[in-house]
Amino acid sequence: MQQRKLIGRIRVSAPQAIAVVLAFAALAAFGAYGAEPATLKMWTRSGTDARAAWDALTAKFTEKSGIKVELFSATTDFEQRLARALASGDLPDVIINDTSSLGQFVALGVAAEIDRGSIEGSANISDRTWQGARAFDGKYYAVPFSVHPFVLFIRRDWRTKLGLPVPKTWADLQALSRAFAEKDPDGNGKADTYGLLVLGSVTRGYASWYLSTYLWQSGGDFVRDAGGGKFRGTLTEPQAANAVKYVRSFICVDKSAQPGAINAVPFDAVAGFRSGQAGIYLTGPWNIAVFDKEPGRDKFEVVAVPAGPVNADVLAEGDLAYIVKSSNNKAAAKAFVEFLISSEGQALGMNPTGSPLVRLAANTKVNASLVFKDPRWDVIQDAYVNHGHYMPNVPNWTAIRQLTAEGFNKLLANCNDNVEPGLKDLNDRLERELAKQQVLAK
Amino acid sequence: MPTPLKLRRWKKAAVPWLFLAPALVVFTLFKYIPMVKGLDMSFYKVNFGAPWDWVGWDNFRRAAEDADLHAAVLHTAVYVFCTVLLSAILGFAMALLLEGPARHLRIIRTAIFLPAVTSAAVLAEIWRILLSPTPYGAVNTIIGWVGMVPAEFFDKPDQALGSLIAMATWKTIPYDMMIFLAGLSGVNRELYEAAAIDGANWLKRLWYVTIPSMRHAFVIVGVLGFIRGFRVFTEVYATTGGGPAGATEVIMTHVYKIGFVQFDYGYAAAVSFLVFAFTAIATTLFLMSQRQLGRGR
Repeated sequence: MQQRKLIGRIRVSAPQAIAVVLAFAALAAFGAYGAEPATLKMWTRSGTDARAAWDALTAKFTEKSGIKVELFSATTDFEQRLARALASGDLPDVIINDTSSLGQFVALGVAAEIDRGSIEGSANISDRTWQGARAFDGKYYAVPFSVHPFVLFIRRDWRTKLGLPVPKTWADLQALSRAFAEKDPDGNGKADTYGLLVLGSVTRGYASWYLSTYLWQSGGDFVRDAGGGKFRGTLTEPQAANAVKYVRSFICVDKSAQPGAINAVPFDAVAGFRSGQAGIYLTGPWNIAVFDKEPGRDKFEVVAVPAGPVNADVLAEGDLAYIVKSSNNKAAAKAFVEFLISSEGQALGMNPTGSPLVRLAANTKVNASLVFKDPRWDVIQDAYVNHGHYMPNVPNWTAIRQLTAEGFNKLLANCNDNVEPGLKDLNDRLERELAKQQVLAK
Repeated sequence: MPTPLKLRRWKKAAVPWLFLAPALVVFTLFKYIPMVKGLDMSFYKVNFGAPWDWVGWDNFRRAAEDADLHAAVLHTAVYVFCTVLLSAILGFAMALLLEGPARHLRIIRTAIFLPAVTSAAVLAEIWRILLSPTPYGAVNTIIGWVGMVPAEFFDKPDQALGSLIAMATWKTIPYDMMIFLAGLSGVNRELYEAAAIDGANWLKRLWYVTIPSMRHAFVIVGVLGFIRGFRVFTEVYATTGGGPAGATEVIMTHVYKIGFVQFDYGYAAAVSFLVFAFTAIATTLFLMSQRQLGRGR
């Protein structure tokens, strides 16, 4: 009886249910129809600290053009979200992401080709900077929005307390790191400080990203151009072994690198520098705003990276504005990108009071140190112009970054392993990947 | 025109399905369809913004030859075996200690259960602090009291997997304990009394009465631990990311890198499907053997 009653009730309510479903469908349809067609969807790989600056920048663009911008930002799982959007065909119109994603975005068919000449203000961007937006096939697939080199952050209060000079060479850097670890620079009577912050994690290929500067400074490289668009893996060169041995000595010999260096990602290193655990960090200039708050502007300095045995090259990279190939809002996307690289857009992006979206302006008409009113940006500008070194231009760098990070991590973790055979093995893997990307020189 | 009797029977049969319908719709949309789609994907080289290329069994063949995957499978197997065994033994011991209706036991049980309901990412961060590889790290300070040299835990390839197993065991013990507590409450009290009259000591009662009566609880703990262990991801990703030197690379972190770093969806789907098939088949075989064993008694 109970069951029959229940069925009766369900049957009676069925037309009502259908009515409710229809009402929802109508609402959804109306919602979709009612949406602003001119809204531009933009994704950026940035944290919550950058949100206010992005909001201000996009609001200005909306004010000038009447085009609304729907903003989405994420940091840690940005690529994962992008992958989901890719798979479901629900990509935004514009993506701001770092230069190293270029090859992958081209290979995945995400990035639309850019006619460099047709972009308003493209002449204000230097050739060197445009290089970061040029894919393996020689065509441009993005517009440079911001550039930066790596620089060295040092705890000035610690260094001056120990009476040591600003490091100019690899040996100086090693000595300073050792002194920070051994001579109690914070004066608390405990052996709880360290020198160099090393990023050894395989996550997002950080180990590879971090070691690149040392690799180039020792005269080595990941790959070398063999002509005709083909490459050869060059991690078997003795210069590469020198670079790995040098970084490894901080962890294995001097033990002056921070504890946990092997699994460290930038989040850990930034925390280490802020909290006074370690006093030397090789990284990009976006950390200036963070470190000004803690440990405090008067406590640290930004200096050029000490030169290696062969040169003083430092990793240069930047953020690119990609117009998505599948976007049906390309005209608005182009207008937005042109605004981003205009003097006004670039200056707004620098956001002197908070987290900068633009580190060094891609637009040469905008001078970072004038906008920030901060001479430290001269050091950064100089490092970019004179020593900036972009990652090799292979079809898909992300895959190589990941596998070299795994190889470097292995060598940094196993202090007793011989470096040369490890690099030989890594080079074999690298060449297999080059072959997979069809650019391995015979 | 169906007869009223037929209609009534039809209605009666439909009732359970009507009750199940909401869950089935949700499962179909969010579980079954994605699973089938995943299987379909594993036969393709997935291109984005372009048609997929059919590659047949290539992705599965690649899995058979992928040395990194084989290492990850081995790490996962060690992880599963140790975690399931350790947390079952310790969880059972805890259940024996904390069994009973007293209020203070209930408070302790609730406190002990907390790790099981805390997010894995939070636990990972706490354990990274506890296992800080410095002489003044929390655990290193404690082991220093008994004269042991500071360990490097997540930082050393030969200690990282062990540290991970310790963390996962710690998280799983309370979960297992709850299942064992439920099992213990189902043990026939008369058997204890009978055994006591026969002169069985505490250990004998445990061995001959408690454990055989709780076979089902052990099966549940084992099967759930096995399934959970094979798809472990967060605990590893948030502590070591698979490092150092690949020492803690498990199947799912490997799949994550293939899928979301290299965007090789087809191969990632193929490996994921193999993991699913393996856990499904292994679990079914195990449960069938248990049923046979139960029938044989």
